[in-house]
Amino acid sequence: MKRLFVTTSIGGLGLCALLLVPLQGCTDLNETPISSITPSNFFHTEGEVLAALAGVYAGLRNTASEGEYWGVSEVSTDEMVVPTRGSDWYDNGTWLETHRQTWSANSPATLSFVNNVWNTAYAGIARANVLVEALQSTTVPNQAAIEGEARFLRAFYYYLLMDTFGGVPIATTTELKARARATRDSTFKFIESELLAIRPNLPKQWGDTTLLGTKVGRITKGAVNALLANMYINARVFKNEGAGSGISATTYNTCLSVLVSGGKDACQAAIDVADSIINSGVYQLAPAFTDNFSPDNATSPENIFVIKFAAADGLGFNMVMRTLHYNQFTPSPWNGFATLEQTYNAFDPLDRRRKMFLVDTQVNVETGRPATDRKGNPLVFTTTIANVTSATEGEGARIYKWPADPKHVQQNNGNDFAWFRLAEIYLIKAEAELAGGTGSSTPLALLRLVRARAFPGGDTLSAVTNGVILRERLFELNSEGKRRQDLIRHGAFTACWQFKDVTTGTCPRPAALVLMPIPQTQIDANALITQNPGY
Amino acid sequence: MRLVRHLVPALVAGLFWAVPLSAQQTTGSVTGKVVDASTQQPLANVEVAIAGTPYRELTRADGNFTLNGVPAGAQRLRATRIGYGSQIQEIAVTPGGTTTAQISLAPAAAILEPVVVTGYGTQRREAITGSVSTVSAAAANVGVVTNVDQMIQARAAGVEVTRNNGEPGAGVQVLIRGGSSISNSNEPLYVVDGVPIYNEPTEPPGYAAAGTPPLPRNPLNLLNPSDIASITILKDASATAIYGSRAANGVILVETKKGTATGGPSIEYDSYVAAASPAKYLNLVSAGDYKNFVAQQVPIFIADTIACPHTAPGGKIDPNCFNSARGLDPKIQSQLGSANTDWYRAVTRTAVTHNHDLSFSGGSEDTRYRASLNYMNQQGVSLANGLERIQGRLTATHKALNDRMRLGVNVTTSRVNNRYILFENRAGFEGGVFQNAANLDPTQAVNVNDSTYYEPGGNSLRNPVALANQVTDLGRTTRTLANGTAEIDLVPGLTGQVTVGLDYSAGGRDIYFPIASPLGRTLGNGLARVYSQDNQTKTVQTLLTYRRQLGESHSLDVVGGYEYSKFTKNVAMGQGIGFVTDALKYNALDAAGTLRDSTDASESRLVSFLSRANYGYRDRFFVTGVLRYDGSSKFAEGHKWALFPGLSASWHLTQGGVVRGPFSDLRVRVGWGRQGNPGIQPYNSLATLVGGTGATYPWSDVPQAGVIPHNVGNPNLKWEQTTQYNGAVDFGLMNNRLAGSIEYYVKNTSDLLLEVPVPQPAASGTRIENVGKLRNRGLEVTLDALLASRPGLTWRTGVVFALERSAVLDLGPHQFLRSGIVSGQGQSDQWAQRILAPDSITGKTYPLGTFYGPLFLGVDPTTGFQVFACSAAPGHTANCVNGRTTTRGGPAAADYQVIGNANPDFTIGLHNQVNWGKFDVSFLLRASVGQDVFNNTALVWSTKSNALQVKNFLAPALTDGTDLHEPAIYSSRWVESASFLRLQNITVEYALDLPFLTNSARSARLYVSADNLFVITGYSGLDPEVSSLNESDPTDVGLVARGIDYLSYPRPRTFTGGLRVAF
Repeated sequence: MKRLFVTTSIGGLGLCALLLVPLQGCTDLNETPISSITPSNFFHTEGEVLAALAGVYAGLRNTASEGEYWGVSEVSTDEMVVPTRGSDWYDNGTWLETHRQTWSANSPATLSFVNNVWNTAYAGIARANVLVEALQSTTVPNQAAIEGEARFLRAFYYYLLMDTFGGVPIATTTELKARARATRDSTFKFIESELLAIRPNLPKQWGDTTLLGTKVGRITKGAVNALLANMYINARVFKNEGAGSGISATTYNTCLSVLVSGGKDACQAAIDVADSIINSGVYQLAPAFTDNFSPDNATSPENIFVIKFAAADGLGFNMVMRTLHYNQFTPSPWNGFATLEQTYNAFDPLDRRRKMFLVDTQVNVETGRPATDRKGNPLVFTTTIANVTSATEGEGARIYKWPADPKHVQQNNGNDFAWFRLAEIYLIKAEAELAGGTGSSTPLALLRLVRARAFPGGDTLSAVTNGVILRERLFELNSEGKRRQDLIRHGAFTACWQFKDVTTGTCPRPAALVLMPIPQTQIDANALITQNPGY
Repeated sequence: MRLVRHLVPALVAGLFWAVPLSAQQTTGSVTGKVVDASTQQPLANVEVAIAGTPYRELTRADGNFTLNGVPAGAQRLRATRIGYGSQIQEIAVTPGGTTTAQISLAPAAAILEPVVVTGYGTQRREAITGSVSTVSAAAANVGVVTNVDQMIQARAAGVEVTRNNGEPGAGVQVLIRGGSSISNSNEPLYVVDGVPIYNEPTEPPGYAAAGTPPLPRNPLNLLNPSDIASITILKDASATAIYGSRAANGVILVETKKGTATGGPSIEYDSYVAAASPAKYLNLVSAGDYKNFVAQQVPIFIADTIACPHTAPGGKIDPNCFNSARGLDPKIQSQLGSANTDWYRAVTRTAVTHNHDLSFSGGSEDTRYRASLNYMNQQGVSLANGLERIQGRLTATHKALNDRMRLGVNVTTSRVNNRYILFENRAGFEGGVFQNAANLDPTQAVNVNDSTYYEPGGNSLRNPVALANQVTDLGRTTRTLANGTAEIDLVPGLTGQVTVGLDYSAGGRDIYFPIASPLGRTLGNGLARVYSQDNQTKTVQTLLTYRRQLGESHSLDVVGGYEYSKFTKNVAMGQGIGFVTDALKYNALDAAGTLRDSTDASESRLVSFLSRANYGYRDRFFVTGVLRYDGSSKFAEGHKWALFPGLSASWHLTQGGVVRGPFSDLRVRVGWGRQGNPGIQPYNSLATLVGGTGATYPWSDVPQAGVIPHNVGNPNLKWEQTTQYNGAVDFGLMNNRLAGSIEYYVKNTSDLLLEVPVPQPAASGTRIENVGKLRNRGLEVTLDALLASRPGLTWRTGVVFALERSAVLDLGPHQFLRSGIVSGQGQSDQWAQRILAPDSITGKTYPLGTFYGPLFLGVDPTTGFQVFACSAAPGHTANCVNGRTTTRGGPAAADYQVIGNANPDFTIGLHNQVNWGKFDVSFLLRASVGQDVFNNTALVWSTKSNALQVKNFLAPALTDGTDLHEPAIYSSRWVESASFLRLQNITVEYALDLPFLTNSARSARLYVSADNLFVITGYSGLDPEVSSLNESDPTDVGLVARGIDYLSYPRPRTFTGGLRVAF
């Protein structure tokens, strides 16, 4: 009996103890991630700051993707079309909607591509804001330059938004809240003032550090000036709210008499920053046009602001996938993007730059062996596309400006993508001079300078007009993501072209289309955002 | 909050002290006999108990029983047995005397356990006030059953179980009373032997070489169905509230078999062999028809090209003209082979399954045990695919200290080896086995010669037989579920219990795409991946239970407790690309050209205080109140804790004679409660930075590792809450030969956890926020009837009927969210469904699973273009003429409309069990009526333009009038009515009476069984029953998509033969 009493007591006590113990502790529910970092415990060392800077740069890769700023700026123009090929590339009609400019605030292309432009740019801005904010309370070597790079990239992301949508909400802190849109003019001024503020803190070149080589792909004074030059030439478009309020959808939008920082005329300002680049001694035109796009184009002396790509998983450029036929590369490309016949034919047959397009009988670009189509016929690309809604696999000239990288890892090629290169700076300077600015050389001389390598047999260009400049930009900058912007500036964006004509929709399209619609999802997320007029 | 946190347990504890300890009483004995009311045969194993006391006993084989030491005075004697209605007799026990009682029990319509596991304890069936369904494990374990989810299909009203596909051990979607969440988990909570388990996938994902990787298999495959004693499903909020924050989607309680002392030790052996083959095959164009089709199209091409000018250099045909010719190139015709291959049949097979269960159990009055061993090897009906399980279970209970202390241990450990094949749930450009089977030219043979597979050579076409055989994808899970319980009677009526549970799973995945496969070459000359994942859950539970009969009329049953769970997950992945040989597979990653590896870890905790009180008055009225206070680490500071109450009551109208007439039993129940859904991943409330490829940038071509803000964080993130009202009537007629219940519920979910766009700039486009409201309403009817009950023949039949309507009441700022990505070539950015907010003008609401797209009007017979409805309103389709448009101009976004509803009007399950002499026959019929399914397979493979790419297509397309070059466009054309009636299972069992067996064995039974014997449906696809995936795709974050059928793994028809022997 005594033994029973003892065991019962021990058992009872044990149970009581177990019951009571948890009440003391074990209500702690604090959460500390174990495989990710929170901003509060980061940004203490140079390595950590550089890692955050790399993250801001990494956002650039998306801007040149097919369903992003690059795709929207190309497929909505006469440079590019993505024909429906049987069951391929219908994709909810998004590609033809973009090409025919039949988008609306809630249409499939807006909800995907245009929404991506918005989110990608703002994600980059958010990344920059985190770093810029953290830099206020830490000290690292090269701090001013690093902050300059972060603020440049932030300004560039805002520039993409301003170009696509007009004025946008501006945030320079990490606070998450709904903000109203700034006017397009204030957005322009914000970007301009940021660029001017950081320019002194950036080097002309990054070649002098032991860590990094000569063409490192980091932001320089030249990149700042190139972006400014582009903004100034587009100043009438960028500083006005839309068609009907300062922008003409059908005539040239000149930079003349648009005032920018310091009360300067925008055309003159464009010439001045272009001259800073030209005279910096850092850049010169590459001997061959193709040097700017080849897999080793990091050595091109012409590229000013590039997205660095590397032949490594997730870090590469995949332009070959978008345009080449299934049997021309491994992994199998998508046989999608082509140029219009009218665009191909616009090139002078003697213009070496026309070789950026693949036409006629094709080879596998890796092996050089003849390629076949899916039926086993020799693969032939034709310049015509008989019916854009039911094209065949060989129709359409293909863009092959950035050739395949022999060291590619799956679809990742190492070709860098230049947002700005010296040739464009010459073209901007020429255009600003033609508009009425004062420069050191004539527009004709500048154009001939750029065209020299394209016409080794002699250039016949004898006069320059706005039309000539727009055509020259089509030849020189084709597929470089500039066409939508150029057509808007030259009053030609809503005009008719192949597959965007009276049979498929009212054409010319409404003037309001010089601004893209704000995707409805973004208005849902931020009630302070108002839609662009006309949508 | 801290006060409340400690108040609940304090109140619970206070209750106990308020009850005075009972005084000493004099005692007497009760003896008697229990017989079957219809046959007058004695009944064994009837529990005879004095209501409200611990005095209870089981009847012996002759039906007799004796209860000693019963307190003197007026007592209520209750007799209960499975399959019989319970019986209560008023008796008077004299001090020191013996009272006799004769009891006859009437067979009931349904075989129901009289005591039901209800979470943190058990309750008498009569005392339950909430909505609880029980499934007889014995009746449900027929045919090839791999896991517990298959056992509840169509056997409980309002529980919708859909297998993802026909793979062995496939994952399932279980919806109890509809889903309560849009982007959150809709999985119910599983509780095994009292310990809640996290039903996360235990194996890492596959490699997405063919669109999305194969879906994870069911984590519950670790439990052998033969070890399951009972399954209880808690459906309404008052019943599930005891599980609080995890209960919004219902709770499935699984109790495993325990050892018994009665009848001495026993050994059981159960074995079956099954053969399965696909129930239906894809109706692809045959080789002969394909050749004829090509032959028809070639002249069109020739006619087109003959007119082409010869303007190219060298007098060659103008390529522009040639390229745009209609029809099919003669080249295609010349390349056709001479074989006749049905590629879909080539990748499927007749699959064999064998299963062996061995168990033994026994014990003494104090110590009981049961041990079991299971081996199962199930082949899939597709090549090179299957499941193997080796599982052992041990359970033991021990009573000590004069029965005042009870100890229990349950250990289940299992190893599941999964062989996966590459198949697509949603396909990208590269296809898996089934996509290629649908694509491949039927005129080609599988093998070029004995050692070489035919390969089409194109970069996106592969021989599916080769893919299945060459790609290795092995998953494995070793999982142990263990728990130990100690229970002690502290004072009469008051019991304390401590349970410690551990759920540990070590999962792994070994994948190799060999160089020998063209896909393996494309991926970079061989790709190997080794992946491991450890999940671990630790649970501590302490409970105090107080059960007391207060006087004659009042019974009280109170549970209070504390529970702590900690969940950790660790994954590690290594990947190598570029090998020189296939010999090493995934076993020597360092031989690869490029290596990549990654690790990840997460942890979360859940802390709960819980209490439940059930009060009964004379078995007429019962009231149950539940309070649970839960805290989860996953939510934001200040929002971690939430209170989940439940209240329900029942009134037995037949007790006390309120209602007479035809009813032998009539009861009304009402309940209300609120629960939560914490199914989000940890750390969603925090702003975090992550590294990885997306953050890396190659300055000077040297990749610099970076970090980027990953998660926006939401400092207001809190519980998604579901409030549910339940009203029910339970009835019995003709002495309970007909019994049933009718239930109506309304389930309102608010603060929906939705992945929504956030104001930019933000680190990510979306974050999880609490916005939106969802309402489910439904009616459930259960009917059970004893159709025959006489010596030699018993026939029980049961019907479960459910109808449910969901409505999205609020989506926050959104008009709609897109869901249900359409798969296939040319289908990027196409979504099949929309989650629609109520119409702002009419107020009309829409259910989850609403198909949204263009309305198909027909095919223009002259052009072969598809024609869709359009509206000529400004900004809409420009070439909309008379409300009709074709793909040449649209259909525009503004022309999209509601084109279907994936939800059934109602579902019915009908189960029957007939015992006739030595035969037992059971069958289960299942019907689902009124739902639409989007036949994504038909959308993609009804396009004859596949032939332009030398691909096959579905036979009906040969005659559908659509032009050869017409693209595949999602529209109402492909949304079909998918009502069906399925014979889920039929089993015939025969009791063997062979002398050499009966001499040693207690029983020996032979059975044959057929699963999925027939489906009656108008649906044209493989199977009308398709999973509703919450896909783990970043573009489709968990949004509910229902009723999309894309090349799913074929569902088998299975025939099984088995033997059960007990010694």
